[in-house]
Amino acid sequence: MKPGDFNRLTPYLYEIPASHRPDMRVPARFYADAELLELALEDKSLDQLVNSATLPGIVAYALAMPDIHQGYGFPIGGVVATRMPDGVISPGGVGYDINCGVRLLGTHLSRQDVSPWLDELATQLQRNCPHGVGRGGEIRLNRRQIEEVVRLGARWALERGYAIEEDLEHTEENGCVPGADPTRISARAYERAHDQLGTLGAGNHFIEVDVVDEIFDETAAAPMGLFPGQIVVQIHCGSRGFGHQICTDYVAAFQRVIHRYNIQLPDRELVCAPLNSPEGQDYLAAMKGAANFAFANRQVLTHLARRSFTDVLAGRVEDHSVYQVYDIAHNMAKIEEHEVNGRRMQLCVHRKGATRAFGPGSPVLPEAYRDIGQPVLVPGSMGTASWVLVGTEGSMAQTFGSTCHGAGRVMSRSRAKKEVRGSELRQKLEGRGIRVRAGSLAGLAEEAPQAYKDVDRVIEVVHGAGIARKVARLVPVAVVKG
Amino acid sequence: MSDFIPDDAIRVVEHTADWALRVRGRDLTELFRYAAAGVARLLVGEQLDEVPLDTRRQLKLEAYDAEGLLVDWLGELAYWAERDGLVFPVVERLEVTPNALVGAVCGGRAPELQKHIKAVTYHDLAIREVDGALEVTIVFDV
Repeated sequence: MKPGDFNRLTPYLYEIPASHRPDMRVPARFYADAELLELALEDKSLDQLVNSATLPGIVAYALAMPDIHQGYGFPIGGVVATRMPDGVISPGGVGYDINCGVRLLGTHLSRQDVSPWLDELATQLQRNCPHGVGRGGEIRLNRRQIEEVVRLGARWALERGYAIEEDLEHTEENGCVPGADPTRISARAYERAHDQLGTLGAGNHFIEVDVVDEIFDETAAAPMGLFPGQIVVQIHCGSRGFGHQICTDYVAAFQRVIHRYNIQLPDRELVCAPLNSPEGQDYLAAMKGAANFAFANRQVLTHLARRSFTDVLAGRVEDHSVYQVYDIAHNMAKIEEHEVNGRRMQLCVHRKGATRAFGPGSPVLPEAYRDIGQPVLVPGSMGTASWVLVGTEGSMAQTFGSTCHGAGRVMSRSRAKKEVRGSELRQKLEGRGIRVRAGSLAGLAEEAPQAYKDVDRVIEVVHGAGIARKVARLVPVAVVKG
Repeated sequence: MSDFIPDDAIRVVEHTADWALRVRGRDLTELFRYAAAGVARLLVGEQLDEVPLDTRRQLKLEAYDAEGLLVDWLGELAYWAERDGLVFPVVERLEVTPNALVGAVCGGRAPELQKHIKAVTYHDLAIREVDGALEVTIVFDV
């Protein structure tokens, strides 16, 4: 991809016309400013975006958010909507970590309240929340029990005392996507899941204690209970090996049937099946099961985070209770209704490294947020800011109710490992008052801030383009890495 | 089966989000053996020599095509690492045809896993003949 292959439509929006390649069914659009555009041109992310514009049944355009970077199949930051019932669903367009997402927890504490015990709190979070490569948790489930998680999602956690009702109200889909079918999931997926509920995993997953640095929209911040100087907690993780296996199974299974549907694709990872085919329906039902597992996973981790606050702060502060602001997915395919060329249509919206961002008035939002729009949680890279945004009318009109999901990587993991020493990075972060609890120093180096784009710049683009609105900026004070 | 692996058989390829290896072998069997060695290196990094050779696993796989077989083969190795903490630096026996594989690997519990392989992807996956050898680039979701 090179300049000249695309046009600038608005200050933050570019379009690659459908004429760019004969197999494109629709144009491809991406959001960027000048600097983010340059970064997007450095890897294959825009070529991957063009590839995603070839999917049968795609409507309007393939989209990418300003945190776009090279992934597999879809670019990360990609959004593709396919028409129901004959458009396709692509497991690779959701990704292996189905319903990887972010949860934001609020407290009634200020930085000053917690400062004396922050070290202890970071250590206790690390101790209580299982993390790292191959690390299982305390909860051991047999197949029948995991099937219950698949059907109930976060409600499974509620029924076992790991949640309060308000947590579920403030979770996308109330923590349970309807239509999950445990019989569409393989024995190996169940086996991988048996000790993984309530675990963080490794890679870029984390639990972070943040301080609200600045409020940009008091009207939207108020119903979320956010105030300057407030201590909040982010949890970033997904469906663990359970989701990875479900995606693996269906990517493999679809390879065998794609010819039956006469679908030609530029990349085998984009493999797909019509939504109204038996294979498409099976994947959708299995994917929903993984999504529900992920909601339950973040819910159990919330319980463990609450326990950590109690362990460290009970009797030391007036109110150490933790409430849930919101929980959102950023790897998911969902059946939603949107307007396309003036017509309401039922669509399957694939978001891979992109966040749902429904605007004000959406009936699926909890009552507390219906007037302000859906909270959008955007974690930055380690040691940098994170953001709370809300969805807008603009996101509904431009992006099928979607916006960015993070900062977006810019440096490969192998290069980050060569250029950054984990121990030095930890020292640097600690020097800035950020407590770091990491399972692996090599893993820490791969997630170094310089491996990512500037999240503030990404946010300026989505805010400027009107596909989300700034509410609050968070800065980290403690991070637990997988 | 020889443990020798030429320097140019396994190379890490830059990939923004995940991890990619370019593997070269004279035939399918050698390509698959080197790819397995690449997975072991990815999982334990420089601690490869510290992995005991006290566990053997055998496997038989069938797949739609050679690329699918490669994904399944490496996927098995990643699965054993996640489930049991096992890494297999040695391929004792391996016979590969484009649709089937029979193999035996030897390894043990790694002192520490450096990386979690979530999945082996089909992204741009194609086994090609390049300069008289077979070559493939494999992207791992990590």
